[in-house]
Amino acid sequence: MTALLAATPAHLTVKIAYLSILPMLALLGGALVILVWSSLLRRPLETVWITSLTVLAATAALVLSLMQYFDVIHHGAHVAIDGAIVSDGFSAFVAVLVSAAVVVAALVGDGWLQQETIRGPEFHVLVLVSASGAMVMGAANDLIVVFLGLEILSIALYVLAAFNARRRQSGEAALKYFVLGGFSSAVFLYGIALVYGSTGTTNLPQIASYLAQNYVLHNGMLLAGLALLLVGFGFKAAAVPFHLWTPDVYQGSPSPVTGFMAAVAKVGAFAALLRVFVSSFGLLRADWQPAVWVIAVASLLLGASVALVQRDIKRMLAYSSINHAGFILLGLQAGSTKGVEGSLYYLFAYSFLALGSFAVISVVGGPGDGRHGLDRYRGLARRQPWLAGALALFLVAQAGIPPTTGFWAKLEVLQAAAGAHSYALAVIAMLSAVIAGFFYLRVVVLMYSPAGATGDGAATGTIVDTVEPARAVGDEGEPVGVAPGGEAGSGAVALLEADTGESAEPLVIPGTTGIALALCAGATVVLGIYPAWLTDFAHQATLLFHP
Amino acid sequence: MLSHAYLIPLLPLAGFLVLALFGRRIGEPWAGWLGTATVAGSFVLSLVTYGALLGRTGSGREVTDVVYNWIPAIPHSGFQVSASLLVDPLSMTMVLFVTGISTLIHLYSIGYMDGDGDFPKFFLYLNLFVASMLVLVLGGNLLMTFVGWEGVGVCSYWLISFWFGRDSAASAGKKAFLYNRVADVGFLLAMFLVFERTGTLSYGSAGGGGFLGQAASLPPSTRTAVCLLLFLAAAGKSAQFPLFPWLADAMEGPTPVSALIHAATMVTAGVYLMCRIGPLLSLSHTAQLVVSIVGVGTAFVAASIGCAQQDIKKVLAYSTVSQLGYMFLAVGTGAYEAAIFLMVAHAFFKGLLFLGAGSVIHGLHDEQDLKRMGNLRRYMKLTFWTVSVGVVAIAGIPPLSGFFAKGDVLDNAFAGSLFPWKVMWAVGLATALLTAYYMTRLLVLAFLGDDRWKAVVDGGRAKKDPHESPWVMTVPLVVLAVLAVVGGALNLPGHLSFDPLRWLAPVFGPGAFEEHLSGSSQWVLGVVDALVALVGAGVAFRLWSRETERPALEPALLQRSWYLDEVTDATLGRPGQALARMAASFDTRVIDGAVTGVARLTRGAGSGLRRVQTGYVRQYALGITVGLVVLVGYVTFLAVAR
Amino acid sequence: MVPGALFHFSWLKIPANRIDFLTFVFSAAIVLVGAVNVVRQRNPVLAALSLVMTLFGVAVLFVEQQANFLAAVQIIVYAGAIVVLFLFVIMFLGVDREESISEEPLRGQRFWAYLLMALTFVGLLLAGLGSRFGSGVPSVAGTLNDNPAHPRSATPDVVVLGKSVFTTYLFAFEITSALLVIAVVGAVVLARRPGAGPLAEEDDDEVEVEVETAEPEEVST
Repeated sequence: MTALLAATPAHLTVKIAYLSILPMLALLGGALVILVWSSLLRRPLETVWITSLTVLAATAALVLSLMQYFDVIHHGAHVAIDGAIVSDGFSAFVAVLVSAAVVVAALVGDGWLQQETIRGPEFHVLVLVSASGAMVMGAANDLIVVFLGLEILSIALYVLAAFNARRRQSGEAALKYFVLGGFSSAVFLYGIALVYGSTGTTNLPQIASYLAQNYVLHNGMLLAGLALLLVGFGFKAAAVPFHLWTPDVYQGSPSPVTGFMAAVAKVGAFAALLRVFVSSFGLLRADWQPAVWVIAVASLLLGASVALVQRDIKRMLAYSSINHAGFILLGLQAGSTKGVEGSLYYLFAYSFLALGSFAVISVVGGPGDGRHGLDRYRGLARRQPWLAGALALFLVAQAGIPPTTGFWAKLEVLQAAAGAHSYALAVIAMLSAVIAGFFYLRVVVLMYSPAGATGDGAATGTIVDTVEPARAVGDEGEPVGVAPGGEAGSGAVALLEADTGESAEPLVIPGTTGIALALCAGATVVLGIYPAWLTDFAHQATLLFHP
Repeated sequence: MLSHAYLIPLLPLAGFLVLALFGRRIGEPWAGWLGTATVAGSFVLSLVTYGALLGRTGSGREVTDVVYNWIPAIPHSGFQVSASLLVDPLSMTMVLFVTGISTLIHLYSIGYMDGDGDFPKFFLYLNLFVASMLVLVLGGNLLMTFVGWEGVGVCSYWLISFWFGRDSAASAGKKAFLYNRVADVGFLLAMFLVFERTGTLSYGSAGGGGFLGQAASLPPSTRTAVCLLLFLAAAGKSAQFPLFPWLADAMEGPTPVSALIHAATMVTAGVYLMCRIGPLLSLSHTAQLVVSIVGVGTAFVAASIGCAQQDIKKVLAYSTVSQLGYMFLAVGTGAYEAAIFLMVAHAFFKGLLFLGAGSVIHGLHDEQDLKRMGNLRRYMKLTFWTVSVGVVAIAGIPPLSGFFAKGDVLDNAFAGSLFPWKVMWAVGLATALLTAYYMTRLLVLAFLGDDRWKAVVDGGRAKKDPHESPWVMTVPLVVLAVLAVVGGALNLPGHLSFDPLRWLAPVFGPGAFEEHLSGSSQWVLGVVDALVALVGAGVAFRLWSRETERPALEPALLQRSWYLDEVTDATLGRPGQALARMAASFDTRVIDGAVTGVARLTRGAGSGLRRVQTGYVRQYALGITVGLVVLVGYVTFLAVAR
Repeated sequence: MVPGALFHFSWLKIPANRIDFLTFVFSAAIVLVGAVNVVRQRNPVLAALSLVMTLFGVAVLFVEQQANFLAAVQIIVYAGAIVVLFLFVIMFLGVDREESISEEPLRGQRFWAYLLMALTFVGLLLAGLGSRFGSGVPSVAGTLNDNPAHPRSATPDVVVLGKSVFTTYLFAFEITSALLVIAVVGAVVLARRPGAGPLAEEDDDEVEVEVETAEPEEVST
């Protein structure tokens, strides 16, 4: 670097390879357009326009990131903007995943906003900017940039968590998330400082080459920095013991936000975690692997076992997301290319499962989005066959039953673990999957048992009281049981015909949520039956991992 | 025809899809007929396929049919799996009897499930089960088999808890699911191990490029590990010791389900799997020893439990476990043909017995207690005669199929060259005695003696007279009875594991034993078997035809299945629950709970609640800091230790 | 720079330039005292002023590193603008409000907090002790004196800073704007009062404690 500075004239300009940042720019640009446009108008903008714009921006980002991917395939990976970010298969994979997640989240969010009659563009603006933060984390080539991406992602999420101002839990969740997030960010920043102090750079490849060229005999400070970085990442990724915020925040946040949080925050955190640890600190593998091992085991077991005793579906899925974090850590613990590939695959599969599950939950939660007790799901299949079918599919996939993406995801990371000879970890992971399969299927069984079949007193009485507000939205939503046809091939297991004549609750699936569900279900089943595309994608993403 | 084998599982799957989409509209009974028709169609298809297969010779009988490339080869990782089917005599034998028996049981179910509110759903699950089972047996690699394996597991879970209104049914479903998932861990680990060591998952036995072809080049420890891991999976699915308690509970499902899944087909999947990896298993003596010891042990233990049960279906369930133990004994001694033979014969007579039991239960309006039956031969003639055929067959009385099948297994156990085999033959013979005893006891208690059911007062008035079942239920009984009688002809003795049609060649290659029995010793062994069976039957007849309450012969130890459930509960269940509770209380009690308590306190004291909330966050921050300290402590240790 | 055994206290030897060392010790002490006081102080105004103290100490440390520009910015932006903003907010909410930090909602929690933080820092110190830091690697932004022959005569720090902000850290610099935009949008969203609409209907079997929502202003500051 110094040589470069000395060699170049005083006024040097940075060449900017725009393709490498265009996906982020598309998201940020979309957010700014929505903000400016809606503030220029006198009347509030119709929600449908905002949603369309968001979906448009996200689709543009998706196309651009695919273009970036093909550019990388044909012309190789490269760093851009003076080494601040990198354009490789890995970053393109993350960008594709994040922009696809934004499409789904925007659609689900639209349905939720209609249901809650909240107007205003801020929801979508926050989603877009937050997603751009995750993208930055995926492409970051410098610890400072990682940190900025993390903060962009997180600050938007803090606000999104508090978005339902009418629900007290929402604000509470946001405050908890904010305070603890601030704490973990401080720890993370401290870690960056220590790493900088001991290697003299924050640039990821330069750290790697420094470590490759110098054998640091007494590297306590570097390792301490590494530990602090792990804490920061672990917090965002909801790994034990940094998971404590997860159940409360997942439960308190509005359901579409929870889905978005589960998907995109995990993607961002794990993308950066994988890149930093495997590519920059790959040489210190022997030092960080045991720590990751312990964290993975703790996440796997605690997530699966505590989820068993939850009575609130959002809390249950929060613990399940902790369990999933453990699985993704399996790939990191392997510390190999194969492991990174498995983790990426897992992230992709899990994102859509989480988005889909929480989309269903946001519909079942009803107006006000406050009713998530498991009893609410008893007999859902009779009232809402499509909804129940979709949720059953997502849960079965999360349990890892073939042929869904969930199965392949688990297989990929387990293979990586076996390939790295972490057999004990693989066995523990499978045991946790056994436990986890139990609580997923419990919900499925609950949905397909008739309402009040076993005299569980709590089941009755939760059904009768949501009449008025739902009618108000009823006009815009789709009629019960006639969900969009896109789902036709999806929840085959669950597509039992049910008579809708029963005293059905006026639950309404908003059209946009229906589309989002169809997208998630389609991704889960199609990629489960034909996983080649995704394995190939994930593999290519790691081929060009080391720029 | 051979290249269209994929149509065999596809047909029931199509039936499943149609039922899933339009089942409720089709309604009763046409949904049942549709299901039956699709399964019958695939039976016909498999007949044609089998015919085509028999037309070939030698290694031409092993056809791998790649339907599509499931996971195409990925550069560098080498992981490639195609959705391929393996059509060979072994898989086709399985397919034939699976589809054949399924057809009969589908037909039977139309009568049995008559009037059930969820009639179409029942056939929906049943069709999905058949499709999964066919994928399991036809799968050309471990992964395909695993897909089917999981599929039948899930279907079995659904069908056991089909009447989930009953708590016992729901918990039985869960139990089956948990036991099977534990066993699945073995399957997954075996898959990883196989892939890691050989780079492929496909079977391809004789030089077909699969891992079985490479069996000889693998290190012995790997062979043993793979075999034992797969045996763990098989023991779960096929209910072997100590994983068998779930099968008895699984009897909560509708009787046709018990007949199809928990007697004839699904539970034999484990035996099939062990036969499939036969070339590998034959090379590992440790694994063979484990398999045969577990097999014969299970056979004996389950038979002893069967002697003391009162529930007619429980007797049959333990009898199934016991017969499966025989099959594993055969597998362990390398007599795969004998195992398959017993499996097929068992499917005939056990299916028959279950359907007969179902007919009895149906006729007596859901009465399952043997002690409350009696003298049914007067009311249900056809059922009586067919069940008698089944009992004679399973007891091993010549010349019915059970005699030949069981004789084959015992002969092989006798002929085994390693030391413990003779002991196994003795235990096996004792089990045969018990088998004849408890089956005769069942027959006597249910069909002979007094009309004890008349004394049972049900809701203030005596029960209606039992009635014979409709024709859709009796036709399968008759067909199966005929098969149970003549099934022995499939594999007549005269030669150890004589194979007149060479119908399993070349899957298992030459017999595992160099040591053959002479013709005369076979005759002697056959006579011994028959005598033992007659003694068992005679004793039971003497003991039970007069008296129905003999507590000395039904000790609690046997009634409670050797307290295996209690032991499992104490060693695994309770600590497991305690662990989950501990983990939960770490979050809910220590943290949330402490705060909740404090919240009540403060609320009572009337001070602001806001502090409580920050209390939450403080507490969480503290938790995160604990993690931080541990991590920093770890790296400090690393730094200092260096 | 000799990598010695762990408890080889070479790094504690007072270096040739005693003034530098004493300045470091003095301002580090100011930073720490200020930081502890921010947390311990009951009166919010005094807490804010303690923060100013810490920031001044940091500024002195910057000066010692010859980062004069950063020191100035530190004073102007943090001490001048941000702390003043804090003080405004505190004054608006009422100066006389004292946080009673002696009352403990959770018993023993403070002890654990002290213990754990102490352990963390002890651990970090131990890990850092005897490790090779500084490591001789030049910083990415380039050194301040390009010409070792004439120390203190070379490029001013503003030039180096400007260069690196517009080259190496250009992207970070620009992406910060997104961070600020989202912070502003977030503050607006949180400060807005909720309109009418369907209220949450919570399930009956909540085990959750109902607790008062925090005031949104707290989050946005």
